[in-house]
Amino acid sequence: MPRSVLNNTVIPLLRQLTKKLGEQQAKNELRWMTDHVRKAITTKHTVEHTTNARLWRDQCAPSAEETELASKRFSSVQWAWLRQAVHDRVETNKPLQYILGTQPFGNATVLTRPPVLIPRWETEEWMLKLADMIRAENTGLLNVLDACTGSGCVALGLACALPRGSVHITGVDISQDACELALENLARNKAKQAVEFQCVDLHEQSVASELMSRRVWDMVVANPPYVTPAEYAELDPDVKDWEDVRALVPGDPTSDLDQSGLSFVVRLAQLTRELGLADGESTKLPRLVVEIGGAHQVDGARQAMHDNGFNLTEVWKDMAGIDRVVLGYHKT
Amino acid sequence: MNALRALKARPMRALVRDSRLSGLLNTGTAHRYATTAQPKPSFPPGSELAGKSKLTAQIHEKLKIMQYKHNKILEQMTGDISGMEREDMARLAKEQSNMGMIVVPYEHLLKQYSELLELEQMMNADDPDLRRLAREERQEVLENVATCENDIINGLLPKDSAESAGAILEIRAGTGGDEASLFCADLLHMYEKYAQLRKWKLETMSMDSEGDKIKEVVLKVSGRGVFGVLMFESGVHRVQRVPATETQGRVHTSTATVAVLPHATNVNIVIKESDLRIDVFRASGKGGQHVNTTDSAVRITHIPTGISVENQQERSQIQNRERAMQVLRARMYERERSRLDLERRASRNKLIGSGDRSEKCRTYNYAQNRVTDHRINFSMYNIEGMMNGTALQIVIDQLRIQHDLDELASMDDFDYISPPSQ
Repeated sequence: MPRSVLNNTVIPLLRQLTKKLGEQQAKNELRWMTDHVRKAITTKHTVEHTTNARLWRDQCAPSAEETELASKRFSSVQWAWLRQAVHDRVETNKPLQYILGTQPFGNATVLTRPPVLIPRWETEEWMLKLADMIRAENTGLLNVLDACTGSGCVALGLACALPRGSVHITGVDISQDACELALENLARNKAKQAVEFQCVDLHEQSVASELMSRRVWDMVVANPPYVTPAEYAELDPDVKDWEDVRALVPGDPTSDLDQSGLSFVVRLAQLTRELGLADGESTKLPRLVVEIGGAHQVDGARQAMHDNGFNLTEVWKDMAGIDRVVLGYHKT
Repeated sequence: MNALRALKARPMRALVRDSRLSGLLNTGTAHRYATTAQPKPSFPPGSELAGKSKLTAQIHEKLKIMQYKHNKILEQMTGDISGMEREDMARLAKEQSNMGMIVVPYEHLLKQYSELLELEQMMNADDPDLRRLAREERQEVLENVATCENDIINGLLPKDSAESAGAILEIRAGTGGDEASLFCADLLHMYEKYAQLRKWKLETMSMDSEGDKIKEVVLKVSGRGVFGVLMFESGVHRVQRVPATETQGRVHTSTATVAVLPHATNVNIVIKESDLRIDVFRASGKGGQHVNTTDSAVRITHIPTGISVENQQERSQIQNRERAMQVLRARMYERERSRLDLERRASRNKLIGSGDRSEKCRTYNYAQNRVTDHRINFSMYNIEGMMNGTALQIVIDQLRIQHDLDELASMDDFDYISPPSQ
């Protein structure tokens, strides 16, 4: 029985990947790449084309077994893509998500494109936990602001995880690339709620009043940049070389003003107060949900929230045991 | 002493099992010969004309007793019912209907047997037309006999609810290195094709493969009655052929292990969140925005039982967790089920269906074009058909027949009453 060609030419690719990633992960990534190639990079030659070509040359049409084998083999276009993909992955440290173009996030599939930040699993985890919380509370329509939305993952993840009509989400980001990508993601994932995206610089003073004029806000969620300038220098090349620095490091990376990485969290706490969320009756749901970088930022974040009227704060750990999310409630 | 005399009429086995009296009675050899003679189990008259019956003589005896009991209950129900309580009436009705499911086909069967006797007489008649008529009728009666026997068997066999559900099929390469991995892939292909024929849905839960070589694959097969069919596949499959990797053309033997677990419905298994330890393979470090990881591997360990399941098939951790949970539930269900099964069948010595992973079940010999199932000693000369999935049904049918016969032969949940005086 003839063995497929896969066996012989996939091995060098696997070897290349193994050098960078280790055996198991290399196998996984290669499998995902080959799955992607099969689905997304379609070959132009159909069975009909091959049959016609053969008959024209007075040869036999391809048998059923041959077409089956051919469908398992990759075309030259597909091979070229695979080789390029592995080369990029290994030599230029291009993240797999940028190569494949997508990343699953909750119930949604998020398109990814450099330099927009790739959704992290920690974000996915707290997003789903928050969605469970919102679903359990079963309040009326919530107006949620997703700050630093990037690819729109949190906004769309929440929209897909919640029942119809329970939430209206507005995602904002300073980067034009991010907003474009977010709109593409919105078109791709048919969310059951109203979601909109806008390109806004949250550091501007007029932002709060502008947002207030539009609707009454109930919650602000965010995955803001929290990498400190010192840490940024130490990051892996597949993050540093490819993802937008504005999505990682808050403030101006060239100035030494903020070494804690918390400046954006502080700004968010201020903004949330300006949106009127530090007043009113106490509710079971948090008013402000912010992702942080770890234990070194917990105290700073909690302090910033307390200073802005959120008198009860909570910290969630992610599955690796690192302090990942700080939530601010307003209790009377 | 009346009780003792009544007991003497029962067969020996029942006496020994009756622990209340084991202290009183001397159950030694002398007593064995002192019991009243029990008529030897025999077939009903006319059954020999129907050819080899699936039901043994003992079963016919048991069915006779059942029929007697059934008639007694009917008498009770139609007789003087004024003195009976409502619960008693309901209980009798329920018993009667349960027994009726077996007794009615049995009575029908006996009628068929008597018809066969009559037809036999007709067959020896002088008139050729009459003989021809008899032959045709005989054909019909034989078919009826087969249907009745099947009905009786279906009624008698214990219903295993797991058999009607889906299954989780695990194929692992055994001894033989690369050749075993290639054989594992061939087995996967066989089951895929078979599932296509049966119109079942296949889903790959996890696959550990390199090109054409598969070290381990876990599939979820959904459909009706899947487990009842695939449960015979558990065991060690052995292949004897010239491997594709062989340079000199020698025949090698290698193995693959197949395990089939019933796919647990969520209703039966209760898994407490607190009993689970979910490990995610994470490099130590800051995580979050600092790192871009594609590692979505999840390992779930159920602490009380120690069962652990790992999955890194999909790119999303959530999806991997869900798949690992499904396999975990199936393994826990299988553990519980096989424990109960083992208890129930401790005294039996069955060939098939114990699902023990280490028992040798089948040999595939390419040189002789032969597939042999060792449990029923059945050989088939069609490797190509087998590996295509088309001929697999033949072997499974044979296994199913043997399984049913085994079950039937070792059933002992009839209670004994004094047999009808003949």
